[in-house]
Amino acid sequence: MVKKWFHIATADFYVLTAGMRNHRRLYSGAFCALGILWAVYGAPFLIGGALNAIMPMSDIRALLMIMFPGLMRSAMMVLWIMLLLFPMTKALEEIKIGHWEIFLSNNVKTRDILTGSFLGGLPLYGLVTLFLAPLIITPFILAFEVSLIGVALIYTVLILTVLTVLWISNFATAAVMSKLGASSRGNDIAKALSFVIAFAAILPMYGLMFAAPIMTEILGTDIFLLLPFTWSADVVSWIAITFNGISLTEPEVAFFSTILQLDLLVSALLVGAFSVSVLGLTLGATGRVFTITAGARTERITTVGRENFILRGLRKLSGNSFGALLVVNMKDYFRKAQNLSKMFYGVILAIVLPIMMTFFADFGSEMNLIDIISAFGMMFAMVGAFPFVGTGFLESKDQLWIIQSAPQGASRFIKSRLAMAAFADVFLTLIVVVGMTFVLGLGTVDALLLLGFGFIVVIGSSMVAIGVTARNPDYEDTKSPAHQANMMTAMMVPMFAMMSSILLFIFLKITGLDAVVEVAIEPYYFQILCAFIGPAVLLSLGSIFVISGIRSLSSPDA
Amino acid sequence: MARNGISIKTEALCKNFDTVQAVRNLDLEIATGGRFGFLGPNGAGKTTTVRILSGLLKQTSGTAEVCGYSIDTQREEIKAITGLLPESPGLYSKLSAVEFLEFVGALNGRNGELLNRCIDSLLSMLGLEGRQDDLLESYSSGMKQKVLMASTLLHEPKLVFLDEPTSRLDPAASAIVKELILVLAEETETSFFICTHMTNFAEDVCDVIGILNEGELVTLGSPESIIDSAGTSDLEHAYLDIVGGRVDRKALLAWR
Repeated sequence: MVKKWFHIATADFYVLTAGMRNHRRLYSGAFCALGILWAVYGAPFLIGGALNAIMPMSDIRALLMIMFPGLMRSAMMVLWIMLLLFPMTKALEEIKIGHWEIFLSNNVKTRDILTGSFLGGLPLYGLVTLFLAPLIITPFILAFEVSLIGVALIYTVLILTVLTVLWISNFATAAVMSKLGASSRGNDIAKALSFVIAFAAILPMYGLMFAAPIMTEILGTDIFLLLPFTWSADVVSWIAITFNGISLTEPEVAFFSTILQLDLLVSALLVGAFSVSVLGLTLGATGRVFTITAGARTERITTVGRENFILRGLRKLSGNSFGALLVVNMKDYFRKAQNLSKMFYGVILAIVLPIMMTFFADFGSEMNLIDIISAFGMMFAMVGAFPFVGTGFLESKDQLWIIQSAPQGASRFIKSRLAMAAFADVFLTLIVVVGMTFVLGLGTVDALLLLGFGFIVVIGSSMVAIGVTARNPDYEDTKSPAHQANMMTAMMVPMFAMMSSILLFIFLKITGLDAVVEVAIEPYYFQILCAFIGPAVLLSLGSIFVISGIRSLSSPDA
Repeated sequence: MARNGISIKTEALCKNFDTVQAVRNLDLEIATGGRFGFLGPNGAGKTTTVRILSGLLKQTSGTAEVCGYSIDTQREEIKAITGLLPESPGLYSKLSAVEFLEFVGALNGRNGELLNRCIDSLLSMLGLEGRQDDLLESYSSGMKQKVLMASTLLHEPKLVFLDEPTSRLDPAASAIVKELILVLAEETETSFFICTHMTNFAEDVCDVIGILNEGELVTLGSPESIIDSAGTSDLEHAYLDIVGGRVDRKALLAWR
C-alpha cells in the first residue's frame, strides 16, 4: 500500500533541504550525529567546565537544586511557546497551499497531508531543540548527577513534549491556512498574523530575561498545575530527583514534593494522556473541523470609498503628480494588514522593553535622558526600519517593470515611498515617545528632546530600510535570501550607526581630547550632543542608501 | 518622433543569459504606425526583445533605436513615448482600478481632471466601469489584463509594446483590444509591437509578422506572404511548418 503521508513528508523534507541537495544524506546524518554528540558529551563537558570555572559544583549545587523545579517550568513554557508559535509564524509568512489541491485531486486524505507536513518539518525543529535543550537541562543534570538512565528518560520526555507541541502547531497552522487560503488577501492577513504571533512568542522570553524570579514564582502557583507544560517540566524534575547520584535524603525529596505537588506517576500519566488525546482529537477533527479544499476562501470584493480628509489635504497641499503618487502609495501601504501589523510590532516592542526594565528590573528610577537614549535608542531604529524593509515594497517583478517603464519612474516611486514613510514615522515616534514618557516619568523638555532624537532615528532607519529594499527587492518572498539579507542589513546598519557616538567617546578618550571638550561644553550638554551624533550618522547613511537604491532600481537589468 | 518613418530599428541585437542565447543577431525595421506581430514558441526570446527595446534590459551586443532614440543612451526618452503591457499582471492588490491607473498616470507625470477623464473613458471602453472602485485583489486575471491594457495607453504613447495582450481575455474583450489597436494605428499613427502565441489574432491585427525561433528571426513578412511561401491555408499552419510544431498523433499515446 502506498503510504501517502510518507511521500508528502519526503517531498517536504526535500524542500527543506534543497540548499544541500547534492549531499543531502551526508549533511543530514552529520547534523544529527553532531546534535546527539552535543547533547551527550559536548554540552555536559562545556557547561560543566564553565560552571566549575566560575564556582565549584559543590558550592552551587544547593542553589541549582532549589532553582530547578521553578526554572524548569519557565524553560518548558518558553519551549512550548516557541515550538508552538515560531513554526506557525514561519508558515504564515508565506501561505503555500497550492500543492494541497494537487494532493486532494489525487484523493489524499487531510490526515495524510497533516502527518506528512508534520514529519517533513520535524527534522528542522527537532535539531533546533536537540541543540538548545541541553543548554538548560545540563546544569541540573550535573547538579543532581543524574544517571544515564535518568538522562535518557529526561530526553524521552523532552522529545515527547516537542513532538506533541509541534503536532499542535502543525494542526493549528494548517487550520488557519485553510481558512485564509492562498489568495492575495489571505496572504496579507496571514503575514499580519505572523507578526502578532511572533510578538506573543517573544514576550515570555522578555519575561524570562527581565523578570525570571517573578515569573518562576507565578509559575510555581497551583493554578499552573492545570497547564500541560507544567506536567512535562515536573516529570523532568522528578526524573532528575529520582535518578540522582547525590543520595538525596528523604526530607529533601519531601521538600521537592511540596513544590511540585503532583508526584512522578501522576505527572507522567498526565503528559502521556495529553499527548494521546491531542493526537486523537486532532486526527478526528481534521475532516470535521476543517477541510482543505480548493476555492476562494478569503476572496471578498472590497469597494473603496471616498478619500479621507488627510489624503484630500495631502493632495491639495502638493497639487502635482507627485502628490497623487504619494496619496496612492499611502493607500496601498496602509491597506495592507501586514504593514499595520509590522508597525504595531515595532511600536509595542519599543514600549514593552521600558515597561519590563522599569517595573521588573528597577531601571526607571534615577534615570536621565542620556541613560534613556543609551538604553532604548536602538528601539527607535527598529520602529523605523521594520515596517519598511522587505515585504510591502514591490509585489512582483512585473510591478517593477510597470514602474520602470515610466520615465524616472523608479526614482519618483522611491521618493514618494520615502515621503509616505516620513509621514507614518511622525505618528509612530509620537506613540513610542508618549508611551515612554508615561512609563519612565519624563518631564516635558526631556520628552520633547526624546521626540526629536526619536524622529531622526526613526526616519533615518526608514531611509536605510527603503534604500536597502530598493537595492535588492524581495517581491513578497519572505523565504528568499534577498529578504533575509534585507532584514539583516536594515536592522544592523542603524545599530552600528547609533554606536558611532560610543566610538567618538573612545576616540576622544584615547586622544585626550575629552578633557578639552568638557572645558568648552558642560558635560551634560556634551553628552546630549554626542547622543545626536549617532542619529546624524544614521541620517547620512540613510541618504546614501536611498540614492543608491534609486540608482539600482532605475538601471536596466543586465 | 520617429525618424524616416521608422519606429524600431535593430542591428545585430544579441542577448545572452549565461550560456543561453536568448536573442541572436536580430535585425529588424518596423515602420511608424505599423502593427508588428512577434511570434515564436515559449522561450524563443520575444519577451526578452521587448524588454530590451523598452529600456528595461541591457543587450549583450548590437544596437537598436526606438522612435529615433538609442537604447544605450536615451532610455528615459524611450520610456516617455512608449507604453508596455507586461506578460503577467503586476498590479497592486490593495488599489482599485482607478487608483492603480492614477498611480501609473502620476508615475508618468500626469494628474488632475484630464487624467481622471482619461481613466474613466478607458475603463468604460473596456467594460470595467461597474467594478472600477473595487480592489484589484478581487479581479479575475482577464479583468486585470484589461486594467493593464488601460495603463499602457494612459499616457498616449507613440509606440506600444504588448506582450501577450489577449492571453487572458474572453472573446469579446479580445475583439475590443483588436479593434482598439487597429483604430489607434490608423487614426493616431501609434505603432504596435505585439508578442503573441495567438496566430489568429496576429493574422487579423498585424501588418507585418516576424517569427522568432531559438532567439533567431527565421521569417519576416506580411501574414499573406508568410502563408503563401509556406503553402498553407492559414498562419497557424505556416507557423507550425516554420518552427516545427506539427503533432504526431501516434506519439501522443506513447507514454501509456
